[in-house]
Amino acid sequence: MQAERVPGAPRAPQAASIAAKPVLQVRNLRAGYGDKEILRDVSFTLNDDDFFAIIGPSGAGKSTLIRCVNRLVDPKGGEVIFDSVDLVKAPQKSLRNLRRNIGMIFQEFNLIERMSVMDNVLSGRLGYMGTLRSVFRLYSKQDIRQALILLDRVGLSEHVNKRVDRLSGGQRQRVGIARALIQNPKMLLVDEPTSALDPKIAREVMGLIREMARERKIPVLCNIHDVDLACAFCTRVIGLQDGVKKFEGPPDKLDKQALHDIYAMEVL
Amino acid sequence: MSAVAYDTLDARAAVLASDKQRARRVRFTVYAAVLFLVAWSIKVIVVDDTDWKRLFGASLLATIQQFLDVDMSVVKDLWEPALDTVLMATIATLAGLVLSIPVAWLGAANITPLGKSSYMVGRFLMTMSRSVHEIVWGLIFVSAVGLGTLAGILAMAVRSIGFISKTIAEAIEDVDPKPIEAMRAVGCTRFQILIFAILPQIVPVFVGNMIFEWDINIRRSTVLGLVGAGGLGLVLFRQMAMSNYGGITTVILAILVLIIFGEVVSHFARKAVI
Repeated sequence: MQAERVPGAPRAPQAASIAAKPVLQVRNLRAGYGDKEILRDVSFTLNDDDFFAIIGPSGAGKSTLIRCVNRLVDPKGGEVIFDSVDLVKAPQKSLRNLRRNIGMIFQEFNLIERMSVMDNVLSGRLGYMGTLRSVFRLYSKQDIRQALILLDRVGLSEHVNKRVDRLSGGQRQRVGIARALIQNPKMLLVDEPTSALDPKIAREVMGLIREMARERKIPVLCNIHDVDLACAFCTRVIGLQDGVKKFEGPPDKLDKQALHDIYAMEVL
Repeated sequence: MSAVAYDTLDARAAVLASDKQRARRVRFTVYAAVLFLVAWSIKVIVVDDTDWKRLFGASLLATIQQFLDVDMSVVKDLWEPALDTVLMATIATLAGLVLSIPVAWLGAANITPLGKSSYMVGRFLMTMSRSVHEIVWGLIFVSAVGLGTLAGILAMAVRSIGFISKTIAEAIEDVDPKPIEAMRAVGCTRFQILIFAILPQIVPVFVGNMIFEWDINIRRSTVLGLVGAGGLGLVLFRQMAMSNYGGITTVILAILVLIIFGEVVSHFARKAVI
């Protein structure tokens, strides 16, 4: 964990090694519906060993920002370069291939309620499967093996065949984590993973996401409104206010003034 | 703004009071009009049209007497029509389900393929199925395919489309969008989203309503015989034609038993599925 300062480099986070490669470059991203602007010229670069936390008041555009990355929301302009492809210009047809390389974890888990833990985890593989194989749920042995390994890793090996609506909130989010990771993603998008959980479980879930991302060398882009939790787990913080990036830097640079800038009420 | 303008208070109170009085007058006028209308209808429809002599004469009791004299000799001829009735209801419900799937697909606003135009077609088919009575559907199909159980099955199948497809379409419209979002993020095609994010959510509604519709179709099939569409209804019609009042009672009791049977089966089926 040696901090390498490269003169002239735009930034050098403490944990970054020289080999850090950019995975996602967001440049001048704009989004909104009609006249309402939600994101205004947001830019940042996510390296392969980063854990970014996006903080900001509700309505700042955090959720829209990460949904622009996998095009669940269509941006209005700018560039989102992932895997050397500009996602903003990617045709609808190639989105499927791009999305399966990006894992996503949701605030309310977004599981398929009436299916088992196993089936929910395996649904993370659907992006790689043809129509016929998926209708009959013909998952490969390799996928099932991988699902069992992941479920063991997130601590759900005793609940493999249970229906997900029987699980507790923390357990459900673990299923969500396993579903995202079985995609073998090159990046994780995480949308308020802990707001539906109590504080103790929230820390466990954040810890699990960080560990598993580190093991696999996957960068993480995580929306989170809890500033303490963000600082405890991330390598870098982005502060959004009303669609504008107000802060970017390591957590220890996030002082009172910076927080004030991000959370200050806009006076009209 | 919190101070009450006392100088105008009396005037405003007077206005409100007279408004209230007027509202009361209107209300009483409406009540009186409704009461008059009801009384007048009873006079014209019930009092003038009824043969009161017959109602209080001895013939009423005699007729009831005839009906109470249950004719058990008919029972042996009821087994086959009863079985027909149950089979008709079952096949008609399944056929109705198959026909309902495309109608529901058209009539669910969020997945309808061609926007507003296909949505309207779907909704129109639902309304048409429900607004025509099963007896009328029966008459149509008896004239189309001839007397017998097939006409009854087709009539009930078409009549079932309305309810089944409407409830499926509404279940699809009420689907929780969160799993859909997750499946889009995973890289699913539209078809995979339909199978994995929408279908599991509507299965309970789907199965529950199928059982309910089967139960209703048993009732329907007992009367569809009246228009020649087979089953117990046909036997009922024959007993009426022969003026065998005791036989009519027997068939009605058989229908009652069958409906209770349907009720019991659907109760347990629903418990097992949901």
